Amino acid sequence: MANLLHFLQRNALGAVGAAMLVAMLLAVICAPFLASQSPIALDMARKLASPGAGHLLGTDYFGRDVLARVLYGGRFTLAIGLGVVSIAFVIGVAFGTIAGFLGGIVDMVIMRFVDAMLSFPSLVLAIALAASFGPSLETAMLAVAITLAPQFARLARGQALSVSVKPYVEAAICIGVSTPRILFRYILRNGIGPLLVQASLSLGSAILQTASLGFLGLGAQPPLPEWGADVSANLQYVREAPWVALAPGAAILLTVLSFNLIGDALADWFNPRKRNLR
Amino acid sequence: MTRFTLGRLLALGPVLGLVLLIIFSLARIIPGDPAITLLGPGATSEQIKALRDQLRLDQPAPAQFFAYLAGLSHGDLGKSMKTGQPVFDEILLRLPATLELSILATLLALVIGIPIGVLSAIRSNSMLDHVIRVVSLVGVSVPAFLLALVLQLIFGIYLGWLPVSGRSSPYIIADPITGFAILDGLLQADLELVVDALSHVILPCLVLTAFLAATLGRFVRNMMIEVMTEDYIRTARAKGLAEQAVLFTHGLRNALLPAVTIVGLKFAEMLGGAILTETVFAWPGIGRFMFEAIRNRDYPVIQGATLVFALLFMLTSLLVDLVYALLDPRIRKRMS
Repeated sequence: MANLLHFLQRNALGAVGAAMLVAMLLAVICAPFLASQSPIALDMARKLASPGAGHLLGTDYFGRDVLARVLYGGRFTLAIGLGVVSIAFVIGVAFGTIAGFLGGIVDMVIMRFVDAMLSFPSLVLAIALAASFGPSLETAMLAVAITLAPQFARLARGQALSVSVKPYVEAAICIGVSTPRILFRYILRNGIGPLLVQASLSLGSAILQTASLGFLGLGAQPPLPEWGADVSANLQYVREAPWVALAPGAAILLTVLSFNLIGDALADWFNPRKRNLR
Repeated sequence: MTRFTLGRLLALGPVLGLVLLIIFSLARIIPGDPAITLLGPGATSEQIKALRDQLRLDQPAPAQFFAYLAGLSHGDLGKSMKTGQPVFDEILLRLPATLELSILATLLALVIGIPIGVLSAIRSNSMLDHVIRVVSLVGVSVPAFLLALVLQLIFGIYLGWLPVSGRSSPYIIADPITGFAILDGLLQADLELVVDALSHVILPCLVLTAFLAATLGRFVRNMMIEVMTEDYIRTARAKGLAEQAVLFTHGLRNALLPAVTIVGLKFAEMLGGAILTETVFAWPGIGRFMFEAIRNRDYPVIQGATLVFALLFMLTSLLVDLVYALLDPRIRKRMS
């Protein structure tokens, strides 16, 4: 941990990313204190008001406070990112580890299926899945998770392959440890490091993809405050009130950027060549 | 090389089969009547019946799948629920617009991405390097629809320099030859046509370029830094080669080889990203067609467009593999 802190000190971009993320988390947690209104409170008398004293980021077409929508929307967005990556992690790692450890026909079937999933542009597959499940935030999350899962499956398979030939796994097989126990206690536990790095790298793209589905109308449904959906709902007022669409859009950019800055630093951290270089 | 090509083509078979199975299953994995779910609330009973007939939901699943494959074999992707036109024809009509946009964006990304990557690598850890790294990170983090919106606001609305939507001005009467607007203008030697088409393509093209150039720049930088630590670079310097020759003949050449893969895969990924860009710029390509289909819950179109995107993706990966093998004999030997 001390090492990591020291590394962050020398890796300015990573530190900036971490600071941005912490600031964002604080703002989102303190949303009730920072925004005076509910994100869904209508005030038709003050629709499309410019940013000013009462409404720091102005109001949208229904007179809802944009700052409140961005802050409460942030809660959803961060939860979406974590949720999507967790689902993708569980599905991908489970299949990948089983494929790598068991090998043979199981490995072949699972990996051909992974190849097929990777033959789609990820946004297109997510759209097709979300369109068949029906538009809602939950199905959009599931759709994005399914498109992210193959990356985890590939990595987990590689990890399982390299760990499963280690002497301690052979020893465990010899003394008759059950397969599920070997998978969990020996293979997964010893190969989880790179998988966790991949998970942190995926957070940004998970948020970006889910927001894109929201923008296309396949994600969160109104009046739920979600950044992607908020940008698309306000596109038509962009001439007279650009802040309504730009504020949630900028929020997506800053969040994804902070995750990518941290991810870049982490990738350097786990690359011994680069870690020692600095 | 022929053996290598044949091998790659054969390997594509099972994956293509699975891709078709996935696309076929998409509509059918939902519990309940897929026709009702797909059409959503407010669908009339005629629409539900029409979709049920088109998807052949009254037959057992394997029979449905084989009927779907039989249809595909002669280019039948179903009929649009909204217009009643064959999905295949509608997609073919819009393909040139999407390809024109993506190809231009890729070319522009090569012109921008490679030099900034090299510059960043040879000035590694300088102020310039940091600036390029941050800008390219912003490039990969910005949602396509946000960048599109900002460009529209600045160049279309505030400055009024460029049109913000469509592919040509309403007063232009074009006579399509190839379907590629710029190429058509050049073929007809009509300068007005070319300028009009270019002015429309710039903004959507920039949105797609931003992502690809940023990805490419980051990749070239990392590859270049890695390549420059190789033994042959030290040898080249030791024998007194000019630094420029070391950088370009020995460094960049080797760093660019893996970039072929990145450009190919990202080009295919960009076709998917074009859905967002085409939607914001009302660009009449497959992406916007798919977006309209989502709005209208026109399932056969979504299914058909998904297949076309997947096929384009697989075709690009195949081409990338072949080009790579052509450039690097080691790969060719190992694979065949």
